[in-house]
Amino acid sequence: MSHFSSHRSLLRRAASCAGVASMPLFFGGWLNWLSGPQSTFEVAGPVAKAQLNVFYVTLWVTGIIFVLVAGVLTYATLKYKARNTADEHAAPTPQGHGNPLIELGLIAVSVLALVFIAVPTLKAIWYDYEVPAAEKETALEVNAIGYQWWFKFEYATEQIAGAGTLVTGNELVIPAGRAVRLNLRSVDVIHSFWVPKLAGKVDMIPNRGNHMWLKADEPGYFWGQCAEYCGEDHAVMRFRVIALSEPDYAAWLVHQKAPGRVVPADAPSSAPAAAYDYKNPGRNAPGYSSAFDADPLGAWVKLQSPEAGEVPASIAHGRQLFQQKNCIGCHTVRGQEGVGVSGPDLTHIGSRTTIAGGVLENSKENLHRWLTDPNGVKPGNKMWTTGYNDSASGKEIFRINDDEARALVAYLHSLK
Amino acid sequence: MEALVQAAPGSHETHAAPKRSWLFTRPTAKTGIVSWLTTVDHKRIGLLYAISALFFFLVGGFEALLIRVQLAVPNNTFITHQTYNEMFTMHATTMIFLAVMPLSAAFFNYIMPLQIGARDVAFPRLNGFAFWVFIAGAIILNIGWFVKSGAPDAGWFGYAPLTSKAYSNQFGGDMSTDLWVMGLQILGVSSVVGSLNFIVTIINLRAPGMTMMRLPVFTWMTLVTAFLIILSFPAITIALVELMMDRSFDSNFFEAANGGLPILWQHLFWIFGHPEVYILILPAMGIISEIFPTFSRKPLFGYPIIVFSGACIGFLGFGVWSHHMFTTGMGSVATAAFSLMTMAIAVPTGVKIFNWIGTLWGGHLKMRTPMMFALGFIWMFMFGGFSGIMHSAAPADAQQQDSYFVVAHFHYVLIGGSVFALLAGIHYWFPLVFGRKVSEFWGKLSFWIIFVGFNVTFFPMHFLGLNGMPRRTAVYDGNMGWNDANLVSTIGAFILAIGVGVYFFVMIYTYFKGEKSGRDPWDGRTLEWALPTPPPEHNFDVIPTIHARDAFWYEKHHQREISREQAVHAKEEESHGGIHMPSQSWFPIVAASGLLIGSIFFVNHIYAGAIAGGALMVLGIYFWAAEGPGGYHVDPAGHDDGSHGKH
Repeated sequence: MSHFSSHRSLLRRAASCAGVASMPLFFGGWLNWLSGPQSTFEVAGPVAKAQLNVFYVTLWVTGIIFVLVAGVLTYATLKYKARNTADEHAAPTPQGHGNPLIELGLIAVSVLALVFIAVPTLKAIWYDYEVPAAEKETALEVNAIGYQWWFKFEYATEQIAGAGTLVTGNELVIPAGRAVRLNLRSVDVIHSFWVPKLAGKVDMIPNRGNHMWLKADEPGYFWGQCAEYCGEDHAVMRFRVIALSEPDYAAWLVHQKAPGRVVPADAPSSAPAAAYDYKNPGRNAPGYSSAFDADPLGAWVKLQSPEAGEVPASIAHGRQLFQQKNCIGCHTVRGQEGVGVSGPDLTHIGSRTTIAGGVLENSKENLHRWLTDPNGVKPGNKMWTTGYNDSASGKEIFRINDDEARALVAYLHSLK
Repeated sequence: MEALVQAAPGSHETHAAPKRSWLFTRPTAKTGIVSWLTTVDHKRIGLLYAISALFFFLVGGFEALLIRVQLAVPNNTFITHQTYNEMFTMHATTMIFLAVMPLSAAFFNYIMPLQIGARDVAFPRLNGFAFWVFIAGAIILNIGWFVKSGAPDAGWFGYAPLTSKAYSNQFGGDMSTDLWVMGLQILGVSSVVGSLNFIVTIINLRAPGMTMMRLPVFTWMTLVTAFLIILSFPAITIALVELMMDRSFDSNFFEAANGGLPILWQHLFWIFGHPEVYILILPAMGIISEIFPTFSRKPLFGYPIIVFSGACIGFLGFGVWSHHMFTTGMGSVATAAFSLMTMAIAVPTGVKIFNWIGTLWGGHLKMRTPMMFALGFIWMFMFGGFSGIMHSAAPADAQQQDSYFVVAHFHYVLIGGSVFALLAGIHYWFPLVFGRKVSEFWGKLSFWIIFVGFNVTFFPMHFLGLNGMPRRTAVYDGNMGWNDANLVSTIGAFILAIGVGVYFFVMIYTYFKGEKSGRDPWDGRTLEWALPTPPPEHNFDVIPTIHARDAFWYEKHHQREISREQAVHAKEEESHGGIHMPSQSWFPIVAASGLLIGSIFFVNHIYAGAIAGGALMVLGIYFWAAEGPGGYHVDPAGHDDGSHGKH
């Protein structure tokens, strides 16, 4: 048995070394690991806050139970461990079968502990379900509709004469400090609407009228993502919620209701902006930038007004291509061409911070990449499978070359 | 019933059977491939289950490694979205249906009859059939890897309408979902058939004196699990048949575009799916409940409450399914009800943990490898249980649902729980099955590597989920704060893989070269340890009479009384012509192959072939019935009466 025990101590030393080594890995990184654009701890609205509070209750109750149970388990393991072979073969202890009093007592304590969780849980279930009565009157109601793989937002209360409801895509703009009731719908498969800092998720299920509510306490820029597996591109089905102060929101509404901006071909052009360099960065390449991440709301504000150095001729060419390349079959530019509704409304695409369903920041290079290589950004997306290719046979119908892409980028970015 | 516990007077066939045609000649090979293909021995079938399950455990583990490699760094291009989706779908399907369930079935098959003092299960040929049908289902599920349309990719719970034809593949013509639907239906047949067999066995073939409240806890959990299977699989079978109708014959159960109700799928799936969680964990709890008493040298603390809480979990398990659907907009009342029910189910689960600790209390704990895995189980299962309680609070779950927090939770329950217990069980019963003992050093080394690797892999996922990372995402951006945790997790996955590698290597080495262990190496408490290693085909020379819970412990401490009793029983059995054993048969595998062939044709929409396969299955079952029960006798000294297949 001697070689055996030396093995054993070696093993124990190795195990404790591994344990100590992994400690900083676990503890050091923890706080860092709970911070980010979709952190459920950095809450920015009452719904997410209520949910976080329930989580803290569960964390405390289970934490205390854990300390107690783990303590007893550790004690029992260490105390009753056989120290040597003789110990292992010692006469067995009295063969008792249990102690009903202890057993029932522990059941009672467990039930009590769960009551501590149950009460705040029930409160929060009702609170999260519907806009509080006092705020119902002022609440904004928006229809959020899931598509493979993007989100459409319909402002049902904002009607545009002759053009129906105000519609946007992938970026939901809301007034800060006001409750927003979202009617959740889906046109194809199940999606789920999740903006972690504002509210937990609720699913968008075809043939089912779900709803949720949320509120942003302050103006801000919030990351969201589809949370229910919805097919090939589930991973890159993302969106944003942008909360504005009431006056900013009102101004935004006026702007959004206006038809698509027209830059006449003969408009005097200022010094044209330098042409951008484009090289396809490849599949799954990042579409975000640290400059944008540092101040996303500031970036959004900048995008609301026309950029310097527009080239009217290029924009006009892009507008033609928008028709020739069948973009109009799926997209709408209100007041100009395009009546399609199966893709995102592009009337004010130039004023949005993201494209391709929230995956890419709305830069010239990224838009160029999206137009020329949609399948590399979002494999299997409809623009590529049913626009650029024949949906039945998979045969290519057209592709967009470099010059065409530049014209389209100029046109789309002029749509502020 | 072909295997008789006690040869009742008159059942002993003395007349010479008439000559049968070659078709009905029962195979008699005791070694070689034929003996395995036609076996009806519960121990051999148990081994077949174990080997297949361990094979698929490695396959599923490989799929998991590919997933972790893809997620190691942000914006990775290691595999495509499509491949990634196939990987997580098949990883889950494989681990649940082809690894953990059949590994549990392996223990049910091998250990349960020994624990109740039986010579085989109630329906030996049906047992073989269940295994071969399982293999058929496993083949169908995995065929996709080798054909153009690829493996199933709709997620392991296949939420409608993602499974409908319209969304199957970007350019149409995809049968991967058909394979998934058919594979699961076939595996359901196998599970239900197997479970009915176990139920009848436990109810009817217990040795004299083995009352229900003397059953070893593992056998109790086998019984509860078997009931869960026969009650829950009909729900998923209905759902799968409806989906099959939608896909093959244009019905509209779930076709949203034609008014179908996708939410119906979720209810049908989870009323199966939640009991399924307990189907995966209850056998593990049973194994743990065997290991703790043995290595503490004490009876299980609170046996009645452990048994009752197991049954209670089984019942409550049917009343909590919608906690998988807290985010589907069920309304406040339903959400609250399922929230409270889910909290309630934590109580019987917690009770088990209390009682296991009570078992350790005051014992002489032998820290052998099975005990290490069992203790690891308690720790890890506690973590999984606590995160489960967090999910039960529906508002908190709104943030956790479908995030990596859930992924962490169920891996703590399924690896830290089920798999740790199954690995403990393999170590524990290895000496019984093969007569050899695993080296403690290597056993414990594999335990520690697995334990560390497992925690490094899955603990960070709690943080990923709470930091907003949704599950089932093939790629993530580097600016989301998820990079470090993902990399750590991937490193952990490889540590875990090394641990599993060591574990398997040690087992294979021990099988060939391990230390000979002899009978009852752990000072066991239950009947299986009364047997020589490996146990003979007929298990017990004399069917034991049970006088207490922990029957073998009692035997060891009342040897004089027991040997007197056994001598009397031996004589009685002798006078009935010896031990009656079931004959081997070809027809279980023939019937199962008919099912396989028919299914493959059906998936390809060649209905004539499907009918032909079905006909082969029916023919197999008909001949199975026509060949009669068969059977032969062995005398306890070990040589049979040479009448194979003749009665």
